[in-house]
Amino acid sequence: MRAVFFAAVLLASTSVFAHHSSAGIDRTKSVELVGTIRQFSWTNPHSWMEVDVPDGKGGILTWKVEMTSPAYLVRAGWKSTTVKTGDEVKVTVRPLRDGSPGGLFVSVLLADGRTFTERPAAPPPPKP
Amino acid sequence: MGKALMLAAAIGLLFQSHAAAQAPSDIPLNPLAPANLAKPRPKAPFDLTGTWFIDMAGSQNSWRFGPPPPANKMTADTQKHFEAAQKAQKEGKAYRDDIGQCWPAGLPLIMTRVWPIAMIQLPTAIYMVSHFMNSLRIVYLDGRPHSDPDVVVRTFNGESIGKWEGDTLVVDTTHFVNDHHWIDAGIPATDALRIVERMRMLKGGTVLQIEYTLTDPKSWEGTMKWTKQWNRVDDQEVTEVTCTPDLNTHIPSTQSEFQAR
Repeated sequence: MRAVFFAAVLLASTSVFAHHSSAGIDRTKSVELVGTIRQFSWTNPHSWMEVDVPDGKGGILTWKVEMTSPAYLVRAGWKSTTVKTGDEVKVTVRPLRDGSPGGLFVSVLLADGRTFTERPAAPPPPKP
Repeated sequence: MGKALMLAAAIGLLFQSHAAAQAPSDIPLNPLAPANLAKPRPKAPFDLTGTWFIDMAGSQNSWRFGPPPPANKMTADTQKHFEAAQKAQKEGKAYRDDIGQCWPAGLPLIMTRVWPIAMIQLPTAIYMVSHFMNSLRIVYLDGRPHSDPDVVVRTFNGESIGKWEGDTLVVDTTHFVNDHHWIDAGIPATDALRIVERMRMLKGGTVLQIEYTLTDPKSWEGTMKWTKQWNRVDDQEVTEVTCTPDLNTHIPSTQSEFQAR
């Protein structure tokens, strides 16, 4: 199983529902993590997950993945039980610029074939 | 023993009378006091009660505060911060991301922090709670003046006093903190900051428009002005959000080397 697959792609969307600057994130790249959910936290202001990824040398590298808040994940179809510890997943992130194992969540592909992103619906336009 | 008790009682009485003598007589009734709520007042032209979200339909600069207009000459200290922030931006770094380290965003940034804001309007005050860290802002409408600067506790959202002018609510906010408070990246807010907001309701109460005028002679010369809009969002909730000490442990970008201090 290939642990980490780098793909340089331009990603247009932004995650603005953050409590912090995202300057440390390289938005020009995406990284595909194939591994196992170590922990998933459904919490404010950010949900987050840790993904254990084989490092190709017999070891495991744990990636820290920051996500938006549950209020917006719900709008993208998430529940607190969507991913659980031990689930085998393929997670796409925008990586940290400094190369350490962490990044901003883009999407997750579950073993049952379902894909979840975190794009919340835009605030509805005012009613006439 | 009896003498000691008498002495203690006498000291107690002295402290009691001393405290009574120091108590100011002009402490206002709080906005929720029935006697304050019951005071006769003209009917408010509009009611902000509801949940609002900054209108992000335009460019980022249309809803953010900043960058500062070229006409506003910065003080030497602000210029230093501004140049450092620009250098950090060119290097792809965040400059003094205090909010990311759990410092409050503060006014005016909290109003556009891309999280919904719940507002409850009473005749005496408007209570605003941002979903972002549950930041509380109170706009007093009960006719009180600004607090004595020697008494007021300075805050990130300041002290807001609102008055109705026709169909506009004019809110004057002062008494801000002097550190860890930013208008935008590299533009510090100081304890001399004053913000005047002219709030109007548009489109049948579905759009809130606020015209901002900011002055802070310790940070820049002249006034900076922006006009922002918020949409009423009836399907978004403001719930409990806190910046706990372990939050950033799981948010790697807050701890990367791409943080410039």
